[in-house]
This record gives sequence, structure tokens and C-alpha cells, in this order.
Amino acid sequence: MKRGAFLRFAGLLAVYLVVALPFKAMNLIPGFSDIRPVTAVGMFYGVFFGPLGCLASACGNLAADAFDDAIRWTSIAGFAANFLGPLLLWAYWTRVSRTPFALRRPGEMLRHSLAVAAAALLETALIAPAVAIVYPEVDAVLFAWSVFGNTAVFPVILGIPFTILLQEELGFRPCTGPRQDPGAR
Amino acid sequence: MNRLQANLCLLCVTLCWSAEIVLYNCIPSGVPAFATTCATSLGGALLTWAAFPRRFAATLREGGRGLLLGGMVVAALNAAYNTLYLHGAKSFDVASGAFTACMTVVVLPVVLLSMRRRIPPGTWLSVALVFAGILLALGPSLRAAQAPGLAVMGAGCLLRALCIVLLADLAKKHDPVAVAILMEGFAGLFSLAGWLVEDPRFVAGLPASRMLAAAWAVYAYFIVAFAETLNVFAMRRVTAADATVVYSLEIVFSIAWGMLLPAGIVERFALTPAIVLGAALVVAGSIAEIADPGGGRKEAEA
Repeated sequence: MKRGAFLRFAGLLAVYLVVALPFKAMNLIPGFSDIRPVTAVGMFYGVFFGPLGCLASACGNLAADAFDDAIRWTSIAGFAANFLGPLLLWAYWTRVSRTPFALRRPGEMLRHSLAVAAAALLETALIAPAVAIVYPEVDAVLFAWSVFGNTAVFPVILGIPFTILLQEELGFRPCTGPRQDPGAR
Repeated sequence: MNRLQANLCLLCVTLCWSAEIVLYNCIPSGVPAFATTCATSLGGALLTWAAFPRRFAATLREGGRGLLLGGMVVAALNAAYNTLYLHGAKSFDVASGAFTACMTVVVLPVVLLSMRRRIPPGTWLSVALVFAGILLALGPSLRAAQAPGLAVMGAGCLLRALCIVLLADLAKKHDPVAVAILMEGFAGLFSLAGWLVEDPRFVAGLPASRMLAAAWAVYAYFIVAFAETLNVFAMRRVTAADATVVYSLEIVFSIAWGMLLPAGIVERFALTPAIVLGAALVVAGSIAEIADPGGGRKEAEA
């Protein structure tokens, strides 16, 4: 990894941890211990920083679990899911979509939300079976809903406005490849 | 940012503000409210400044005393209307209190008219729908004994309307990042004074709690730095009346939290047909504002 990419990765990881760690210390809603608004950051990293951002998201999730003393065998599935989910979103906007990434019209927002839902489904499909196999005592269906809810809802209700702010007002450019956005290169 | 995006951002801001109650629940009892406002406002201002130090300095040089004064006045109005809401809401149950706070939607056009500002016809339709919703939800439950509380809430709504108009003006005139930093910074300094008066022990009076540090951190970057900055940027693209109509959706989020969250976090209340219909009218008013069916508010476009 070149120095510039390493520094960018370190910065992304630090921001991820700053957002994620306080939630580890709080039980926001009694009975629902696993509330992770930081999933919005992971999806944003995918679209705006490509594979490097996806790696930062996966490492950030792992590091946050380590801070919480929650590293288990299932963390491998968690790492893969937190890398591949944002990567799927990036791949959609880079390889599938024929238009540049933008959230200016209702149709674009809907397409992005559906892509986020697909990424959330992928993450759920990776994490929930692993947890169900390693921990048979866990209610797998409830756990799967919890993973899907976290990874599908926050990137839409918080992630879309956050992305609009950064892209439209603060000059951030998506990492969606030369085919969609030649000006970004 | 176009008008649709701005309205969505305002909706997100409203959701974040309505979620404050969940974070407040994580703050240990005995921590003064001024301490929370002070720490989180100053923390949020510092975070935003750390991201854009040069931009802030350049805007401050350009805006000069007018920008500083504007930021201070908006922060003071913000603190004043929040205090009035806090006292006025004591006369009402949770649902009625939230609907009463929505009266800003009705007060704001009056404030705008008194300032000789134009209000698009579509906004009047939205305001009428929201007002009908408030009357429907409040009407059957209001008693004469609640009149003083209603007057206090009304004064709070007037100050909030003024605050929104001034903030929208500031956001259109200066860089929203600088406006947000100044607003948060002054709010933190005002609360610091309140904290010192309320508890002279200052920091020594706080419990050493991991939970408190975490709740303050989340509040600072989520509610203050993110939501407030997003709010000021969105205000740049919409009219003050537009923004107020979207803010009124807080009532819907409050009702949702009241139904979804455990009783330890929120005060549960019975969902009556009047509340449901009232909330539905508020939603209808907001949709009419966001969708802009007549297309008559293009002047607010980016």
C-alpha cells in the first residue's frame, strides 16, 4: 500500500472508530443492545473511497469489536460482510449503473436505497448463518432481522442526507470510475 | 443541493432532534442539563471547526461583526425558546405538548408578513393543513387551566419563528459551516454560564462515567455537529416557511417513539383518533410542501 493510500486508510479507520466506539459504551434502548448507526459510514466509504473504503469499514468494524472485547469466530464473517456489503454498493454504481452516482432525483435515491438493501441482504446472508452455526442458542431469525435492519435503515435515513451534504455542498467526489464520472479522474 | 434534497436533509435533521430523548436517557441522573448543552455544543463546534479551520477563518474575516452578532443572536433565541418550551410543556401531556410546539408553523407566516416578506401560495396550503392537524389533536383536550402554559408555549413559538427566519437569512448570506460553528459555539458559552450558576462545582460535580462520556460524544457529533450543520446548509436552499413545515413532522416522530420505545425512555401515551388524524394532517401539510405540486416555489432552487 502506498503512503498516500495508507494515510487515507488510517484516516478513514479513525473516523469509523470515532463514530462507532461511543455506541459500544451505551445501551441505547434496553433490550436492543445492537444499534449501529455506523453502518451508514461503511456504505458511504464504499461509494466514495472504493475498495480502500470497504477495507476501512471491515477493519473498523473488527477493531470496534476488539475494543468491546467481542472478537469471536463469527468476527471473520463480520469482517467479510463489512467489506463485501459496501463493495457491492460500489460495484453497482461503478459497473452496473449507466449514470454517475448522484442523489438529486427521487429515482436516483430509490435506486441507491435498493442497492443498499441488496448490500444489507448480502451482509445478513454472510453473518446470520455463521452466528446460527457457532451459537445455536441465539435466535437466528431475530438476529438476521437485527443485522438487516442496521445495515439497510441507517445508510438510507442518515446516509443519504450525509452523502448529499458531502457531495453537493462540500465537494466530495464519488469513487465510481471513469465510465460514470470522467471529471473525477 | 436542490429543493428536494434540502427538504430531505431537513427531515433527517428533524428525525435526529426527535431522537435526542433516547440519548438523554443514557445521561446519568444528576448531570445538569446546562452541562450537557455546554459540553455537546462546544464539542460539536470544535469538531466542525476542526474539519474546516481555514474556511471558518476566511468567512469570519469576510463576515466580520455582523456574522458574529448574527450567530450570537440566533444562539440566544435558540436557548430562550428551548427554555420557554421546557417550562410551557409542563402544563401538557407529551402528545399535547408536542402539538403545541408545532404552532411555530402558524406563527412563522405572521412573523414573515410583519417583516413584509412574500409567502408562496402553496406554503399557505401546507400551513393550513398543519394548523388543522394541531387544532384537531389539541382541541378536545385543552382546558382553561392550561391557558398560562399555552401562552408560554406561544411565546416560545414566536421566538423560534424569529430564530428560524434569522438563521435562514444568515445561511443564505454567509458560509453555512461558519454559521453552524458560531451558533454551536455561542450556545455552548451561554450554557457554560448557566452551568456555573446551577452547579458551582463545575466539572468536579460530574460523575466519572463511561456512559456519560459516550452519550456526550454521540450527542456532540450526531445531534450538534452533523444535524446542525446539515440544517444550516438545507436552510440555504429553502424558505424559512418551508423549513418550519418540515420541522413540524417532529410530532410524527415523537408519536412513533412514544409507541416504539420502552416506557423507561419515553412517557407512553394513549393514541387517540384525534391524535392520529391530527398527525395525518401534519404529514399531509409537509408532503404538500416537499412535493410542491404547483411548482410555484422554484425560486428556492439551487
